[in-house]
Amino acid sequence: MTVPTSRTLDVKKSENGLPALLDVDAIGISFGGLKAVDGFSLQLPTAGLFGLIGPNGAGKTTVFNLLTGVYEPDCGKIQLGSRRLIKCKPHEITAAGIARTFQNIRLFPDLTVLDNVRLAGQLHNKHGLWSTLLRTQGHRREEDVLKEKAYDLLRIFELQDRAHELASNLSYGHQRKLEIVRALATDPRVLLLDEPAAGLNPQEKILLSQSIQQIRERFQVAVLLIEHDMPLVMEICERIIVLDHGVTICKGTPSEVQNDPRVIAAYLGSGLTDD
Amino acid sequence: MTTPQKSDHTKTSQATVSSSTPPSSTSGGAVSNTLTGLLPLAIGIAVALTLHFGLPLIVNAFYARIVMDIGIAIIMAVSLNIVNGMTGQFSIGHAGFMTLGGYLAAFITYYGSMLIWGDVKTHGGLLGPGELLFVSSCIMGGVLAAGAGYVVGLPSLRLRGDYLAIVTLGFGEIIRVVLQQTGRVINHADALKQGGLSQLIPPPVGGALGFGGVPKYTNIFWVYTILTITIVAAYRLKRSSLGRSMISIREDEIAAQAMGVNIARQKILAFVIAAFFAGVAGGLFAHESGVIISPQDAGFQRSFDYVIMTVLGGRGSITGVMLAAGILTALPEFLRDFDQYRLIVYALLLIIMMLVRPQGLFGIHEIWNMWPLRRRTTKATVNAPSQEAT
Repeated sequence: MTVPTSRTLDVKKSENGLPALLDVDAIGISFGGLKAVDGFSLQLPTAGLFGLIGPNGAGKTTVFNLLTGVYEPDCGKIQLGSRRLIKCKPHEITAAGIARTFQNIRLFPDLTVLDNVRLAGQLHNKHGLWSTLLRTQGHRREEDVLKEKAYDLLRIFELQDRAHELASNLSYGHQRKLEIVRALATDPRVLLLDEPAAGLNPQEKILLSQSIQQIRERFQVAVLLIEHDMPLVMEICERIIVLDHGVTICKGTPSEVQNDPRVIAAYLGSGLTDD
Repeated sequence: MTTPQKSDHTKTSQATVSSSTPPSSTSGGAVSNTLTGLLPLAIGIAVALTLHFGLPLIVNAFYARIVMDIGIAIIMAVSLNIVNGMTGQFSIGHAGFMTLGGYLAAFITYYGSMLIWGDVKTHGGLLGPGELLFVSSCIMGGVLAAGAGYVVGLPSLRLRGDYLAIVTLGFGEIIRVVLQQTGRVINHADALKQGGLSQLIPPPVGGALGFGGVPKYTNIFWVYTILTITIVAAYRLKRSSLGRSMISIREDEIAAQAMGVNIARQKILAFVIAAFFAGVAGGLFAHESGVIISPQDAGFQRSFDYVIMTVLGGRGSITGVMLAAGILTALPEFLRDFDQYRLIVYALLLIIMMLVRPQGLFGIHEIWNMWPLRRRTTKATVNAPSQEAT
């Protein structure tokens, strides 16, 4: 649980010899005197599926907020492909290719399902105010393509029948699903999922774990997953990073993580191990 | 490193689009597209012409005047709705933009016609030279107001809710106080020509008494033509990607950012567009007969009238806001018989409305989504995806 330990772990580079798509190097942030995240590093390869776990308040969502530009890190660097992402606005980071979902669902409740997806899909639009007001042909074609793209995505996730319902009228499970669809509509290269299984029933969790793997293969996105459901994380993630009090205490394959004494101590306490 | 999978996906989406568009998307399609783009404007202008010539035959000048007032109120309310209803920012300084635009427009027509014709009477009939000067001055007023809208939009990037409301309120008050400090109106063309540029500082627009003597060009035709342009613009905005990103800011700013919406740009754009139309409406107002535009018009009272219209109409609902603006403008006039009680009745109606229907007349919907009309439209939208799927 000390800083030197995490630093020695950082030496492990992205495995399989693949170049890292998302290269995060020792980012940290403090709120007042509290170091919420300290020296967090990550080398996520293309189409990799990594898990980020840790007890409540470990700083997992803060890591997401740092990666998506909601907070600006005090130190360290974030690089996506060849692009540096420090001091970028959240919308610029989304445009660069990092999309996220939220722990507490944050759909646009008074927009329809279709409009939620279209909104996310439109970030690369080229037509501005004048072509909108004059309804030029280019503008209309762009809107048509956007609509069709949104329908394609909804069809893949079997939400097309609900396209014209308000997002707030969807069931909880569908809202979670729509959040993922909406994030995918931004054409991401990295998808950050913040507790997508929270509140789902066992059946829905099985479907979710299948669809996360399908998403990765179909859209070739790298996925970073925050989740408290350990069986799900252990089953689908290639590598897992464990955070506790903002510090990375362990990195490795699911079996390595499961048997790591520091992880067990963080989750269960260390009373029984050595006396 | 894009993958074959991904590019396949986009290819199929393009393929489905091209197959779903009718084969007539060649030059003939382009012409018809331009026509449909202009059709709503043409209909609006036709309605404006009909009202302009038809209305005086049916009703007397008093009612014709109310119809004109309603038109101006609708322009104001629909434009304010872009900021308050669609983008979810709370602006209560809309009358400030209106008065600013109105003063510039009045300044241009008043001194412009003094320089051109040597007097400030109206010149020419419908679409005559005087009216063309008037319309272009209104547009100039709109441009000035849009500039002010940009400046007022800047604090909206940092302030939220009540705090932003106070800034916009302050803007209206600043306009009011500054206009009170202006100089006396120059009455004669000779005096204008003899005096140097120094007489323009402070601008001779009448000070606290208001800008009297402005030529009275405003008529139903121009009010309803500009009203049409405002509504078409607001509607196209609402139905487009731009409008969607504005609405997403209203719904959830953090999620909007995360989905790639440049919220700074969209907020300022909303303020600029709304202020432009308010400025143009100010020009119409300043040239209306029986009106002397004065610094008081920029104040809190008038701004709040427009806020009430947008709240009653429903946030983001263009038709709802139009209806509310029409009712709230006409109501005080028809309650005139009750004399001093009319304000009480007006206030009571507002309170009842807020208790019975706090989301506004139409909520977030347009009139065609409302009850008797709703059935047909929902049926149509249910059919839509299956048609596109083929």
